[in-house]
Amino acid sequence: MQTETEAARTRVVIADDSILLREGIAALLVDSGFEVVAQSGTADDLLLKVRSLRPDVAIVDIRMPPTHTDEGLRAAQVIRERYSDTSVLVLSQYVESGYALDLLADSAEGVGYLLKDRVSDVGEFAAAVQRVADGGTALDPAVVSRLVGSRRGRGPLDELSGREREVLELMAEGRSNAGISARLVITERAVEKHVTSIFQKLRLPAASDDHRRVLAVLTYLRAG
Amino acid sequence: MSIAARSAYGLSRHARPVAIGVAVCAAAAAIAGAVALTRGEARGQTTVLAVTTIVAGCTFVAGGIVAWLRRPANLTGPLMMVAGFLLFGTSMAQAQQSLPFTVGLVIGAVPAAVVAQLVLAFPDGRLHSRWERLVVGAAYVDVVVLQVAMLMFMGFEHINGCPCPDNLLLIRDDARIHSALMGSQRVLTVVVTAALAVLLARRWRAASAPLRRAIAPVLWTTAVTIVLLVAAELTTDAVPRGLAAASRIALATVPIAYLLGLFTARIARVSVSDLVVELGRLPGPGQLRIALARALRDPSLELAYWIPDLETYVGLDGQPVDVGAAPGRAVTVVEHGGRRVAALIHDPALGENPELLGAVGSAAGLALENERLQAELRAQLEELRDSRARIVEAGDIARRRLERNLHDGAQQRLVALSVALGLAERKLTTDAQQAAAMLQAARGELTVALEELREIARGLHPAILSRGLAVALEGVAERSPVPVQLHVDGGARPPPSVEAAAYYVVSEALTNVARYAHASAATVRVARDAGRLRVEVSDDGLGGATITKGSGLQGLRDRVEAIGGHLEVQSQHGRGTRVIAVLPLQHRETTAETELGDANRD
Repeated sequence: MQTETEAARTRVVIADDSILLREGIAALLVDSGFEVVAQSGTADDLLLKVRSLRPDVAIVDIRMPPTHTDEGLRAAQVIRERYSDTSVLVLSQYVESGYALDLLADSAEGVGYLLKDRVSDVGEFAAAVQRVADGGTALDPAVVSRLVGSRRGRGPLDELSGREREVLELMAEGRSNAGISARLVITERAVEKHVTSIFQKLRLPAASDDHRRVLAVLTYLRAG
Repeated sequence: MSIAARSAYGLSRHARPVAIGVAVCAAAAAIAGAVALTRGEARGQTTVLAVTTIVAGCTFVAGGIVAWLRRPANLTGPLMMVAGFLLFGTSMAQAQQSLPFTVGLVIGAVPAAVVAQLVLAFPDGRLHSRWERLVVGAAYVDVVVLQVAMLMFMGFEHINGCPCPDNLLLIRDDARIHSALMGSQRVLTVVVTAALAVLLARRWRAASAPLRRAIAPVLWTTAVTIVLLVAAELTTDAVPRGLAAASRIALATVPIAYLLGLFTARIARVSVSDLVVELGRLPGPGQLRIALARALRDPSLELAYWIPDLETYVGLDGQPVDVGAAPGRAVTVVEHGGRRVAALIHDPALGENPELLGAVGSAAGLALENERLQAELRAQLEELRDSRARIVEAGDIARRRLERNLHDGAQQRLVALSVALGLAERKLTTDAQQAAAMLQAARGELTVALEELREIARGLHPAILSRGLAVALEGVAERSPVPVQLHVDGGARPPPSVEAAAYYVVSEALTNVARYAHASAATVRVARDAGRLRVEVSDDGLGGATITKGSGLQGLRDRVEAIGGHLEVQSQHGRGTRVIAVLPLQHRETTAETELGDANRD
């Protein structure tokens, strides 16, 4: 990362009503080579800053003032509709599949939903931010495993081997074949074989982009 | 069974001398009238007519006296007396002197109007509808105004049977004017009679069969009398003497019919016997009110049931009813077996008939007591449901607050802490000094987070209670900004739910003292008393505290009542506040409570 030039740095806006957490995340991202262009304590302020600064990615806490319910989520949806060149990574204290799926309803391109806990694994978190900023997807493993879990014992999912299920879950999180191979410590060719097999078993149309692949998998997991 | 208002009987004793006086006057008037009438045969009066008129006058006065003694507030008695004296007065038309002669002529037809008023006002002596008042008014215009007007233009020289004394009202003897006036008087008489007939027919149609039997004597004798009076009036030119005499005889029977109607309590008996039959087969709630309303002939009747625990009246639905607040309504309290059962909220006119109210109340006492028990049960259920809803709501609010405190506080700090630790981990190899500083800051964060968690945990359940109520209350007293004197009786430990309730009573009461009372000192007493734990928190502050909806005190009362206890707040302005909770120690606990309680003591 240190080798990147000033111009190529990924520009980030952070919105969270806890100044403590905001500063922590900012320090962590700067340390990982990102450029934090602005911080916001409210959803309204976030939208203003996104409009004027056009960052590559906005990191948004779901609960923000004034009602502390889902202001951040709504701001995220507005950003996705109006500012297509800004990706959104939503942070949440809880696993709420409903929130995540709302966010991914139309497209999985440049969007992420992670539990706040993930922040402490600095390397993983920075990679997820980068992936989302680059137009990819980052879905929290807890959300994915809950979706997969709720489908157990019903049909084709049971036909998957253990390894295939692991690959499926990593696909759903938004990882590329390279990412999956690094994670599972297997070759990329092996990953490709698993992916093909999974798509056949679940009778899904083959998808080229990683984020299309996420959507296909999620659509499958949601249906039923 | 007893009825509150009995004043009518008291009054009758004082009225007796007056009644005797009236009777003596009437006797004198009757004798004078009889003498005058027997002398007046020359002017077309017969002995039969004279006698029947005096007899009718006597029955009216006598009937009026009896009616008045029994029903002093009812206008029927006085009206009958007036009619009687008027009848005596008609004999003055036979006098040889001008003044009595003229007076006799003027009042000659008035008794008919009084009889019309009497029948329309039967049985309570009041006119109720606008139509009734209109008809009675028209009747008086007919027999007084038109009569006087006619006399002003009527000389008696040409009338058969005269010479007569002078008509003092005479202005000008003009046959045209006086026959015109006489004609209009007859037209009005016919109209008023027809209207009266319509009103009576409507009343007859509206009455139930038993009520018809009860009011029949009055209605029929009055109707016959009025028809005869009017017929005699309309045929003056060729007076069939028998008709006039017959009308007087009919008139004489009217007061007797009234007395029958008013005092044999026949109507009341009919109503009550109907009611008793009906009470035997009451199908459902609300029917009792309908049955009583019918028996009392007051459709507006309302029932309110006395709930001794709440010291209030409630409706059948258990909702409180404000008795005696409405103007134009009267309240009669019904007792059964010496205890207050219910209140009848009724038309004040019913007060004229205390026998009926009494009889109906007595007949319905048991049924009312039954409905009272139902209403009481409903009121208690209502209160229970309200308090349950409040408890659930209070739980929801507490959980929401807890979630918020966790989310905004400890959870947030822990996430920040994990970020700090992540950063420190990365710095460990490259910049050990900065990493050490980061770790130190992280430890500070962790201390704060732990403190916050402790606060939240204490709000969830006072863990200190596991060491006993006395120890826990010492902690509460120590935290109170107002100095607290604490007196806690020792002894075996109360059940956990009782300890918790006592703890919260003291805790909440002391919070209120600190917040609102402006007190300089507070005292907490916890004592055992006959199988109950009595918790009392008093202060020397402003007072004026009440248990209002949604207040902390309401929540306390719900909690206390949920375990079968009782919470009371004494708080006069300027006299400080005293919160007293009495908690039963033998409260039968649910398994869950016992388990939780045991867990607390580990």
